[in-house]
Amino acid sequence: MEYYSPTELDHAYTLLDKYGDGAVPIAGSTFFMSHREELFDAADAVIDIKKLGLNYIRLNDDGLHIGATTTFNEIFDHKLTRDGRYAILSDTAGELNTNEVRNMATIGGVICVAGEVDMPTSLLACDANIIIGSSRGTRAISMSEFHVGYLNNALEEGEMVLEVHVPQPPANTGAGFAKFQRTAADLPLVNVATHVSLDGAGACSEARVVAGAATLSGVPERSAAAEAVLLGGIIDDALIESAAAASNDIECVNDFRVSAEVRQLWVRCGVEDTLRQAAARARQGGEV
Amino acid sequence: MNAISLKINNEGYDVPVKPHWSLAYVIREKIGLTGTKAGCEMGTCGSCTLLLDGKPIFSCLRMAIDAQGSDIRTIEGLEEENDGELHPLQEAFIQDHGMQCGFCTPGMILAAKHLLDHNPDPTEQQVREAIGGHLCRCGTYVRIVKAIMNAAETMRNAQATQ
Repeated sequence: MEYYSPTELDHAYTLLDKYGDGAVPIAGSTFFMSHREELFDAADAVIDIKKLGLNYIRLNDDGLHIGATTTFNEIFDHKLTRDGRYAILSDTAGELNTNEVRNMATIGGVICVAGEVDMPTSLLACDANIIIGSSRGTRAISMSEFHVGYLNNALEEGEMVLEVHVPQPPANTGAGFAKFQRTAADLPLVNVATHVSLDGAGACSEARVVAGAATLSGVPERSAAAEAVLLGGIIDDALIESAAAASNDIECVNDFRVSAEVRQLWVRCGVEDTLRQAAARARQGGEV
Repeated sequence: MNAISLKINNEGYDVPVKPHWSLAYVIREKIGLTGTKAGCEMGTCGSCTLLLDGKPIFSCLRMAIDAQGSDIRTIEGLEEENDGELHPLQEAFIQDHGMQCGFCTPGMILAAKHLLDHNPDPTEQQVREAIGGHLCRCGTYVRIVKAIMNAAETMRNAQATQ
């Protein structure tokens, strides 16, 4: 296995082209190193991407841009993600309860893993885009299309994630995140993120209700039924409860950790809790 | 093999490594600084924690080759930082019996050191969060938290009398 630490994107792309499927871009290395026995044999080259200038959180007119090698603690602590309309990102990063892992794990890595992780659930609720680079140029793909199955993402050979783009939400938008786990340092058994926008009259004009880490499809999923309940309505207790009840259109996985039945119940509870938080934040203009 | 240089506790070490060797393995087995412990080697127990550029990380999840150019601090470096004396955290762990077998202690102390360096007056909740990624198989958590709280107080008092 070869190791490279390029300082120019073009060099990184050349290496990705040269090694093809055998190239593994590395930033925090938490997933790669904790699954080394399965992954080492298949890796011909490890490419450290931490020196490519992809560590940043910037706010532009079109929303928030987070570089692929930005760590969870940087997202947790940053003024742009800690407060205001993007606070769900800090909330979600903070739910990775191990400080040492938050210092290592990066947003690019965690979305590529596509397993039992929290951030993709929140990014789907924010309708984020993933910016992908290769020697063929850059392209953007919606978070909803980036995960194509459990531990499987839409990256093609020679490609790597450069950035996560979270579009600027309308005024009066709020979001919330919740997760269920056995212990504070465990992987999520279920996670839920909701994102709502209110119009001038206080009715719900945009809604995304997402559950992840436990779906039958292996990737975070939106609940069309819960969103339909919310759209056009005034988000009060009754509407929140009906939306939560409708979220059982997301099918959960049944495994040795928790039954599908309990997971489905947790999704319902998570939707209820996060909708209350999202609606409260939206009513404060999304600038909590 | 790749020849790399690591800077650990202000000392330079030249060591040949394979790319997939973890920092924990190289520090213990190739450099001989065995204060850093290797427990689960999959990022769940916290015993291999060290400070990389001032931040606590799990050294079992970092490739050694990927730590070149970083300032690495292990438990062995604490005394040097404290003019050759035991660090107040080390003293407090002894005083308050913050260990039984001691395997988790280096990681616990380094995680606590990072907390106290940034927050000299933490709440018990903040102490518990700072060591949230650390397992103590002897179950000494209550005494560990007490030791860290007492060390924080000692350090605040020392600061106040300076």
